[in-house]
Amino acid sequence: MSALDRPQNHATHFSGAVGTSVDGATEAALDRLGRPAKVGSRRLHRRWQDFGWALLYMSPALALFLTFTYVPFVRSILLSFYVTTPTGAPSRFNGVKYYARLLNLDGSGRGEYLQSILTTIEFSLMVVPLSMITALALAVLATAKVKGIGVFRTIFTSSVAISVASAGVIWSLIYAPNVIVTKWLVHVLQLQPDNLLNNASTALAAVAFMTVWTSLGFNFIILLAGLQAIPQELYESGRLDGTNGWTAFRYVSLPLLTPTLMFLCIISTIQCFQAFTQFNVLIGNEGPDNATNVMVYALFTAFWKDNRYGFASALAVVLFVILLVLTVLQYRVLDRRVHYQ
Amino acid sequence: MSAQVSPAYRELHSGTYQTMLLAKKVGTYLLLVLASVLVLFPLLFAFSLALQGETIAPTLLPDVSKPDFSVFAQAFSKEKHLGRWILNSFVVSVAVTLGQLLTSVLAAYALSHLRFPAKPVFFFVFLGPLMIPWESTIIPNYLAITSWGWKDTYQGLIAPFLASGFGIFLLRQYFLTIPHELYEAAVIDGCGRTRYLWSILVPLSRPALGTLAVYAFLNTWNQYYWPLLVTDSTEWRTTQVGIAVFRSSEIAVYNLQMAATLIVLLPTFILLILGQRQLVRGLTEGALKG
Repeated sequence: MSALDRPQNHATHFSGAVGTSVDGATEAALDRLGRPAKVGSRRLHRRWQDFGWALLYMSPALALFLTFTYVPFVRSILLSFYVTTPTGAPSRFNGVKYYARLLNLDGSGRGEYLQSILTTIEFSLMVVPLSMITALALAVLATAKVKGIGVFRTIFTSSVAISVASAGVIWSLIYAPNVIVTKWLVHVLQLQPDNLLNNASTALAAVAFMTVWTSLGFNFIILLAGLQAIPQELYESGRLDGTNGWTAFRYVSLPLLTPTLMFLCIISTIQCFQAFTQFNVLIGNEGPDNATNVMVYALFTAFWKDNRYGFASALAVVLFVILLVLTVLQYRVLDRRVHYQ
Repeated sequence: MSAQVSPAYRELHSGTYQTMLLAKKVGTYLLLVLASVLVLFPLLFAFSLALQGETIAPTLLPDVSKPDFSVFAQAFSKEKHLGRWILNSFVVSVAVTLGQLLTSVLAAYALSHLRFPAKPVFFFVFLGPLMIPWESTIIPNYLAITSWGWKDTYQGLIAPFLASGFGIFLLRQYFLTIPHELYEAAVIDGCGRTRYLWSILVPLSRPALGTLAVYAFLNTWNQYYWPLLVTDSTEWRTTQVGIAVFRSSEIAVYNLQMAATLIVLLPTFILLILGQRQLVRGLTEGALKG
């Protein structure tokens, strides 16, 4: 999910040995030297016992991560340099040709995969701001001190429990042209009278709008917690300076909420880059004129429909690099916030 | 109270002030209700469509005089596998939840309580999966599951998700808040490491375990991509893939589609209402504390 911990904390704990006569720093130094020095043999024995038990306790998780994360990850990178058989075995070394092809560096002039990256970015730009503004409005509303506010908070949280697939089925009917809501909306907004999802100019926006709804619950939870973490005294001293309502929000809540908003912004962007289900349920192909062919969907097509495992792996590696940059950014934001507190 | 009534006191009890307070309260409720209707709109819409019977031009509201509740039973008879899909999702979600709890408890215990060489290395090994997106490992994972003959099996749906980096760090963080002196005292009294874990640490960590359980169950129940890849036959589908398939087969029968979708939503909805506190804590833990 997100940064739950940072190695620094751990280092402190590790060297800060408790309940021994030797102080933490010395102990850590001895650890590094790898020799017992003045440490009693019973304690040394215990240390090695600890190591054995630790390995035993960690082994299930380690084995699972090795099998289902690390080995596949390395295989993905390797596969991306090979042409594969239809069953996924590498058959011929291909160098970086797949990367050149998808980044349009091979001189063929076919930039559909670059376009796919752009579509993904466009999709994120539609979803993230709208979702955050709506969730922020809901969060501010949910700080009202009235009876029964808990019920409203549960309602605002509800989309967290709704799977993207179920939401997709529901929204496919909301968007169905013969449903009265859509008829009215199409009329009011002067859109094309055919299915919103079959139209290249509206398909991506329609999927984005549905995604905003599914992401509301999560964003609401985080923003409400962020608002509640702001000390009440700040609002009180603000009131002495003449803030109220909007100005209190603008000059007290918003600045203090900025780190949370930045964190959410990055995490939502990462989720947009990983979005697949809604495209598969609502559209089920590349969309009208490739309008909804986001990266993960292009990957799915290359791998699942065309069985081009090598090429799909190259796409997966590019996706990994993009997401890694976003993740590192996210950790930076978190780090900064911790220091400010 | 002082004999002389202060201006503030008088203002507080004057009619206009009371009216203003009341107006503000009513306004707040109006806004809250309006926002709730908008947020719940897709669900209300689904419910409304489900009750309207088989029609190709559904209206916004069902005919309240004769709502058709039999549609929820019909969904089960029309789609013979709906029950099986729900069972599949339950088996997979419960197994993944229990598996994640077990592997996370053990690994988090080692990382938080035991002292051993090369600990930072292990730390990063556990942090790695948080950095590697699922999408970039999905092809080799799919190829591996296929070559093991695990398509259309429970182990194929469950095994890749039995360990969770999120779970390990969530629990480790919680274990560190339990005073280390307790561990030392227990060890001095001759309590073994494993016994300390199960009879002291785990019972004390129930809130964090609850958070992880709710989170894992919800995520697994709502999975779509992986079950889509590793299930071929209809009876091995999970609910999410199932209703998407059901939708394409009953594309014109709106009420059945919506009824099936609402049935599938019910378990996670109940879980949300029961486990909201745990869930909120888990999500904000990651986001706000760092």
